[in-house]
Amino acid sequence: MSLPIAVVGGGSFGQGLAKAAASGGRQVVLWSRHPDRIEGGDAITATDAWSDIAAAELVFFAVPSAYVAGVADELGRHLDGSHLLVHVSRGLVGDELATVSEVLGTRTPCRRVGALAGPLVARNLASGEPGGAIIGSPFPEVVDAVSEAIGGPRLRVYGTDDVIGVEIASALVGLVALAVGYAARLGMGPGALAVLATRGLAEATRVGEARRGQSRTFAGLAGAGDLIAAVAGDGRPEIEFGKALAEGATISEAVHRTGAYIEGTALASHVVAFGARHRIQVPLADGIAHLMRGEITAEQLTERLMARPARRE
Amino acid sequence: MKILPTRPLRLPRLRTYVPRPEDPKIFWFNSERADILDDVVRRIMERYDAEESVELALNDAAYHEIRRLEASKSEGARKKLEYWRGILRRVGRMSIEGKHETLRELAQSMAKDVAGNFDPRVYHFASRFVPGVLTAAMNPSSIVSNVLRGGGRMDDLVTAEGPLDKIRHISKRGTVVLVPTHSSNLDSIAIAWALFREGLSPVVYGAGKNLFTNPIISFFMHNLGAYRVDRRVRAMLYKEILKAYSCVAIERGYHSLFFPGGTRSRSGAIESRLKLGLAGTGVEAAARNYARGIDRPVYFVPATINYALVLEAETLIEDYLKEEGRARYIIEDDEFSRIERWISFFNKFRGLDSVCVIRFGEPLDPFGNEVDEQGRSKAPDGRIIDADSYVSRRGTVSVDSRRDAAYTRALGKVLAAAYQRETVIMATQLVAHVVFRRLVRATPGLDLFARLRHRGSIAIPSDELVEEIGQTRDRLVALEEQGRVHVSNFVRRQPPQNILDGVLTTWSGYHSARPIVRMHNGSLIAEDPNLLLFYQNRVRNFAPDIAGDQEADQIAAREIAGMGRDA
Repeated sequence: MSLPIAVVGGGSFGQGLAKAAASGGRQVVLWSRHPDRIEGGDAITATDAWSDIAAAELVFFAVPSAYVAGVADELGRHLDGSHLLVHVSRGLVGDELATVSEVLGTRTPCRRVGALAGPLVARNLASGEPGGAIIGSPFPEVVDAVSEAIGGPRLRVYGTDDVIGVEIASALVGLVALAVGYAARLGMGPGALAVLATRGLAEATRVGEARRGQSRTFAGLAGAGDLIAAVAGDGRPEIEFGKALAEGATISEAVHRTGAYIEGTALASHVVAFGARHRIQVPLADGIAHLMRGEITAEQLTERLMARPARRE
Repeated sequence: MKILPTRPLRLPRLRTYVPRPEDPKIFWFNSERADILDDVVRRIMERYDAEESVELALNDAAYHEIRRLEASKSEGARKKLEYWRGILRRVGRMSIEGKHETLRELAQSMAKDVAGNFDPRVYHFASRFVPGVLTAAMNPSSIVSNVLRGGGRMDDLVTAEGPLDKIRHISKRGTVVLVPTHSSNLDSIAIAWALFREGLSPVVYGAGKNLFTNPIISFFMHNLGAYRVDRRVRAMLYKEILKAYSCVAIERGYHSLFFPGGTRSRSGAIESRLKLGLAGTGVEAAARNYARGIDRPVYFVPATINYALVLEAETLIEDYLKEEGRARYIIEDDEFSRIERWISFFNKFRGLDSVCVIRFGEPLDPFGNEVDEQGRSKAPDGRIIDADSYVSRRGTVSVDSRRDAAYTRALGKVLAAAYQRETVIMATQLVAHVVFRRLVRATPGLDLFARLRHRGSIAIPSDELVEEIGQTRDRLVALEEQGRVHVSNFVRRQPPQNILDGVLTTWSGYHSARPIVRMHNGSLIAEDPNLLLFYQNRVRNFAPDIAGDQEADQIAAREIAGMGRDA
């Protein structure tokens, strides 16, 4: 009999993962601070007891990056080296852009960690719409376990050992998607959006390489694939968030409107600080950071980005 | 003498030393040597079991050896060249048994070339007299008493810090893999001495074959557990043999030493990116022991070796600054091979309280967890966890090279972070940093190489310098209190003026090409920015934290920290 799968985090993504695993015939333990609010089922058991997680081998960690450290500390007390821990966060921590897998690797006893990313959205996971994802982990057993847990005819799960690349790509695509949503709402045409998206991805790749990620990861599902899905309209909250900002909403209003935690709000400033320290040009992140702080208008941001000299790609 | 580099001398077996029960495991090394070699060859044969992989291994070895030997003009090389060309010609026609037999012969011969030796008589001799000889070099007038007294001033010159009791304890429980930073060829001697004095077992370690060219050093290295690593041999088979040898030694409980940075730090900085190399075999060895139910854990012990003066500083920084120099791994003509530099080196320490501080860090299991006094792995919350859970899946312990490679990379990051925390800032590094920061401040907008051309053009009034040394020292001490770094006792306790005077005395006349700094009309003149860079590089990661509040100081500090990121 296969071991149950655990999911930590009762948000929309956590529930989507639980449903995806349950639809594959696995028993799922879903940890949430509010288990009574979880829509369970035969295969999904909601709990707020950490000790219930320990029985699983594969643990999905679906917690926004702002809460990662605290939740990881609690979770870590119930795990050991045999657990495989995979997160789905799109966030990075601090000005050195520490990845969530790095945080999990230092705050829990788990070393076999990974990051699940790509064109995955909670709604599609739950509904079983066809799609794909990428699991980054240097540990082959993590890649295998995730493929077994949620992969299948309706969800193609690819693997890579470039976990850092996957995490940086996933986080920064969120930032680019925010900018694309913003620009689209301002009425920019497909050409301008294409420039924004591709240059944004180039910026993400520069940052990723500085963190020792591999550039090819950014051209794959974690980077380009994820961004194409976002721009094509998979209902990505970052796009909606950008649109709300373009309509003049404050950050808190935009958060309220999209109903999701958006990692990009703090991330832009961290990327700018990282770029300055490592001498990497990050004009898009810089523009978003200024915009978020209300220091420039949308028109000024557009002018600033368009006025940059166009060099060889 | 010419055969020494290839066949190191051993003492005749006139009276065989019979190890006593309390002797460290390594004293039994010679009696297990043949078994170790058999194990190594067996593993190689298992690794290359399939016909295609045997043929690939033979072709690869022949190809690389022919390329290497063609570049050599010696008579021996010509003979070996014929041998390898013969293999290359015949391999396609060999039967599978013939291929296996050829591989076995090659593996045996290579393993024999690699294998070390441990002669307790040489160990007793070396631990008793070598420190005396070294310290006598510092004080020739009392050479006889120094040699006879043994340790002598060596005790004062090399100090060891850190959780030594815990390390002593766990070394009885499992195998210790000591992984220090590497900045000088003196490292092996300094650490061997520290291990002896602290009651820790001697270790087996791999030493570059280039170090075996000096017959005296070769004799001691070969008889004190060093195995020979020939970096010129590129064959995949040779690398596998090195790995297997090191793995078998660790599994069997021989405490080992590796420099995970690979070669000596050219820049003088603490290594921040570790490949681990052969040290990674410690992870595999642990997994193999768990899989066979052998209760002999493996512990990695990080250590930093901190010198006030680095014997080979000039050569190393020169090499670092040459673009192409970074790939030049084998230096045979540096200060290490010149005895007058050794004497001058040891003579320079009269102004300071120690030549070298070796700081041991907390022992770690192969998965990066700290361990308790009994050697049990601890989770971040302090809970005791089973280390074998890391190499098991669904209750079954296994050996998996890809998994273990991932653990090794992760361990490299943990060790690099430990190196930063366990670095001990010496007086020379503090003063070099303060002077170099002034140099950077005085040359805004210039790149590193343009700055390094500013020889003798930066003058700092002595009183300003002393004040700045004091302030920077205080900030370093504050970082030490936060657990981020350590400072030497001399730096911590002495008034800034004494620190400056001690450093000037130490530097004066040692680095021969030109003085690093000199005093002129009450000001200090920065004469050799290259060496200032070398010494201050040890501090560079902390530069923004120890700079003054002035904007110019902060900008200079950020630039200095950035220099590390470019390297």
